[in-house]
Amino acid sequence: MAEPAPPAEELALRRRLPPRLPRRPGDVYVNMQTDFRAQLSRCRKLLGPGGGCAEIWIHGLGLAIHRAINIALQLQAAGAGALRLAPSTSTVELADGLEPPGHPDGRPPLARARNNSAIHIRVCRAPPTP
Amino acid sequence: MENFRKVKTSEQDSPLPFPDLPPGVVEMKVKEGSKIRNLMGFAMARMELKGTRQIVFSGCGRAVTKTITCVEIMKRKLGGLHQVTKVHYKTLLEVWENKDPQPDGQVENLTVHKNVPSICILLSKDPLDPNEMGYQPPETDFLPRETCKPKGTRGQGLTEYAPGCGTVWPLRLERVKAQ
Repeated sequence: MAEPAPPAEELALRRRLPPRLPRRPGDVYVNMQTDFRAQLSRCRKLLGPGGGCAEIWIHGLGLAIHRAINIALQLQAAGAGALRLAPSTSTVELADGLEPPGHPDGRPPLARARNNSAIHIRVCRAPPTP
Repeated sequence: MENFRKVKTSEQDSPLPFPDLPPGVVEMKVKEGSKIRNLMGFAMARMELKGTRQIVFSGCGRAVTKTITCVEIMKRKLGGLHQVTKVHYKTLLEVWENKDPQPDGQVENLTVHKNVPSICILLSKDPLDPNEMGYQPPETDFLPRETCKPKGTRGQGLTEYAPGCGTVWPLRLERVKAQ
């Protein structure tokens, strides 16, 4: 870059959300803000008789990975052997926009890309044993 | 609990939840304070040997995210690895002791059983059973999105979709729309 980077105290780090989350009915995205019991009961309702989902996907990003695994294991423990878990992992690219405050005109924001780990757990009903 | 301090923590060792593992498989136990650079240095050195076909990463509690990160880094550096992921609860035994014992010498001990979420991930150069719960095929990286096709129906739904084209999130939606 031709111009020197602005001093650090002028930069405000703005974290951007991961892009374009799909929203099928059986997709549950776990976060750290919502109460754990609320997220657990939402999953339970989706898998229950009135929920209409034969399987659900529980997604967790970064710090929420731990909570996503906990929710999935709690569902399995309460399901008495009727539920099976199939986890898979991936890497999600996040971009943090570095915008110097006080320069709203014209200067393009700097960006920093970073990777974060994510887990996707498929919870499905096991076929009944004959 | 503010009058107690932790004296000992032990975890019960359980066998790895993967069937048919060779006895000499490399097992990486990831702890909360482990440095990723050190873990990857050791793991990559062992995996680059032709004789090492499989490696297992395991972690519990706060180390779960670090375990997944190590696995993702290894998959990025060495392509074509088959993965099986298993999650379960691990029991930790903590022994707490009374901080200020009474003058008459009574030392109280508390044993706490803690169930923490734990993850075990097996990476293998050889193909694994795709019907195993938690199986993930190797990623086909750097393909343009239009050429990513579903790998046929093997009764596992979206699990065997190639997630290598861009990020995972929008691709699952495209897969569902195509059905």
